[in-house]
Amino acid sequence: MASANPAFDRLLKKGELIETVGEMTPEYLKELKHTLLVSGDTELISAPAYYLAAQRAPSINAFMTGIAIIQDELAHAHIAYHILEELGEDQEKLIFSRDPKSFRYPYAFDVPLETWTELIVANAMYDQAGFCLLGDIHEQCSYGPWKRGLNKVMLEENFHLRNGRTWCKRMSQAGGESREELQTAVDWMFPLTIEWFGLPDGMKMHSTQLEYRLKGKTNDQLRQWWMSLVVPYMEEIGVAVPAHKEVADDQETWVLDYPFPCTFDAEAKRWDFRDPCTWDDVMLRWRARGPRNAEMIQLFQEEFHNFRKSHAGA
Amino acid sequence: MPAPEPLLEALREVQDPEMPVNIVDLGLVYRVRAQEARAIVDLTFTAMGCPAADFILEDVRECLLRQPGISEVVVNVVWDPPWTAARMTQDGRHALEMWGLAV
Repeated sequence: MASANPAFDRLLKKGELIETVGEMTPEYLKELKHTLLVSGDTELISAPAYYLAAQRAPSINAFMTGIAIIQDELAHAHIAYHILEELGEDQEKLIFSRDPKSFRYPYAFDVPLETWTELIVANAMYDQAGFCLLGDIHEQCSYGPWKRGLNKVMLEENFHLRNGRTWCKRMSQAGGESREELQTAVDWMFPLTIEWFGLPDGMKMHSTQLEYRLKGKTNDQLRQWWMSLVVPYMEEIGVAVPAHKEVADDQETWVLDYPFPCTFDAEAKRWDFRDPCTWDDVMLRWRARGPRNAEMIQLFQEEFHNFRKSHAGA
Repeated sequence: MPAPEPLLEALREVQDPEMPVNIVDLGLVYRVRAQEARAIVDLTFTAMGCPAADFILEDVRECLLRQPGISEVVVNVVWDPPWTAARMTQDGRHALEMWGLAV
């Protein structure tokens, strides 16, 4: 254990829930805050990312569903930031005064979602990733207030998935150009979500998050869980995905059909499966952030500051 | 010709996509009847801008088409009388309270 507090370690090992800052070691508090920040930033950034695509909704009903999903995501972000505030952080500063590059959400959101089709594939794949990550925290998290706060989040993520899956099925059944557009979106968004879960377990030296039971599943376990939900569904509706199932000793494993990791051209939204790369390359790409990072952060930061300047006291 | 009661019972299979309660216990179904092979449903939503409306309508149609003797479904979305929480059944109330929603 990283902490030098055997009593606290025993509490965690027994599966007890931590309820107050007073019970925490400084290391636990730091790791909890970091985990909450990644979760809050991820939910928050999905709002502008989805909003910019929801404007292309093909009907009023579809637009309402898209907007409702965005509202849910903002509420989920609020849960994480609200807890951070209770842990001593300044919520307003976190959201409105941080540099765009310092937000800690997955790189996938930096690649523009530009059509309704890309939005519904995001609902089917990105929200499925959110469901796995948050579902794991909901089940395993040692911090009581967060664990309980996620009760409703899980159900709402199900609603987003429903939107994604229903529309993927419709687009696939429609055939022709609809099907092609769907397949093109899946082709670049599937590997981007695979990457979302981070370094393979074999390369990860040590996970403080697992040690503190802030989450329960490893990166590879989460990736496997995600594939077990996404791959069969996509196959069922006739969409090709670059992964397949292998069974050995009654153990199901989902195996990728391309070198992981490999190079990605964010502007062209295209993977080069013939060009494997290293995780250092991936980290460089992530750290530089993608095409839409600044635009999305500006979308909610700019008016916050402008309005206060021109409407003092309001 | 199926009697209305079994059709209403069947609609308990249809879950609200946003809350863990079925649409009958939530009080969305005002009337369901069968005319020969046609099922006719009057239902409402909790809000006019219900983001789950499409999914609920789709599920209602699929559910009723699975019932013996039904080959056509007509759904009337009605706003009068408007839905209020008072339209929920005891079971619906209980389900939402278990989930953490005060009703």
